[in-house]
Amino acid sequence: MTRSDVLVDADWVQSHLGDPGIVLVEVDEDTSAYDKGHIKGAVKLDWKKDLQDPVRRDFVDRAGFEALLSARGISNDDTVILYGGNNNWFAAYAYWYFKLYGHHNVKLLDGGRKKWELDSREMVTEAPSRSATSYHAKEQDKSIRAFRDDVVAAIGTLNLVDVRSPDEFAGRLLAPAHLPQEQAQRGGHVPTAKNVPWSKAAQEDGTFKSDDDLRALYGDEAGLDFGRDTIAYCRIGERSAHTWFVLHELLGQPNVKNYDGSWTEYGSLVGVPIELGDGK
Amino acid sequence: MPAGGSGGSSPRASGCGAPAGGIKITDGIGTQAIVQGHVTSAGTPVPSGYARLLNTDGEFVAEVPLGDDGGFIFYAAPGDWTLRVLAPGGIRSECVVSAQKGKITQLELTV
Repeated sequence: MTRSDVLVDADWVQSHLGDPGIVLVEVDEDTSAYDKGHIKGAVKLDWKKDLQDPVRRDFVDRAGFEALLSARGISNDDTVILYGGNNNWFAAYAYWYFKLYGHHNVKLLDGGRKKWELDSREMVTEAPSRSATSYHAKEQDKSIRAFRDDVVAAIGTLNLVDVRSPDEFAGRLLAPAHLPQEQAQRGGHVPTAKNVPWSKAAQEDGTFKSDDDLRALYGDEAGLDFGRDTIAYCRIGERSAHTWFVLHELLGQPNVKNYDGSWTEYGSLVGVPIELGDGK
Repeated sequence: MPAGGSGGSSPRASGCGAPAGGIKITDGIGTQAIVQGHVTSAGTPVPSGYARLLNTDGEFVAEVPLGDDGGFIFYAAPGDWTLRVLAPGGIRSECVVSAQKGKITQLELTV
């Protein structure tokens, strides 16, 4: 797999606007961002309303995902180009989610919405009209999704990558610094986890660093053993989807899972070990 | 400046989704260490751009798109931080701030 298999740049998107078979999809942390302006022709997915089960803590099921993509006019043969704000944080989550349900022809716009905006490229407010499709999803690919028992079993055995900020890793904050600190669970991290904040993989304009820089970041600097399987986690599984994308899609690591339960689940479990303090 | 002040317009949220400008809290700052403010250019709010919070090592910690009023808000740990603003047209500006628990640090940036 090469970068061009999983990433497109802003110029590529600009020159393929309106092409049949290519669907731009915006997924933002700020779910109102799309309504203020988006790339022409892009459809919106709301990471919470559209992708999360409204009752229990889980994703929408296979039938729900099929209904969602059918209603948005996305077909199985379409190339889906995802983009969003905050270094593609939630777009990377959606990418992982599309892969989870077996949509293989999906890519990220490198740099996402921020790069597009900082380049002063055109944004529009009108939403496109797309005919409904009959989308068929596959069963979830559990080889890229970790659950809590996988994480406990991985302590001291597999690579565990905690991609939150250093203050969250140490237990000083319970949420990212742009959100109120309101979680009730314990602070800290999973023992033996390495702290590599997700954002280190991105440059200031939101584009990904080079493969060499990324390999140095996770290998030489953080001490990940590339010969071992890896589980990435954060607070609710979105930032770690960004790191999953880096390790699995850009660096080609074969066995990388995203633990979407992440710290809001692990930090509330009874009896599991927790470590406090800064990364070593 | 009342708790939460300006810089966001949505109610407190429990998820991880932050609206442009950040999430305003409504029931007092309590133990929060808030860094907030506005970005203006020639007296006019800059609504299109990003505010980034960097730690003392210069490492990125958080980012919000600016609100319609050019506002931003962060809930930092107490300590020193660098606030950097990016906006279209190659605009890049930053300043160093000190966050304290239970207090709002207000910034007005001109770019």
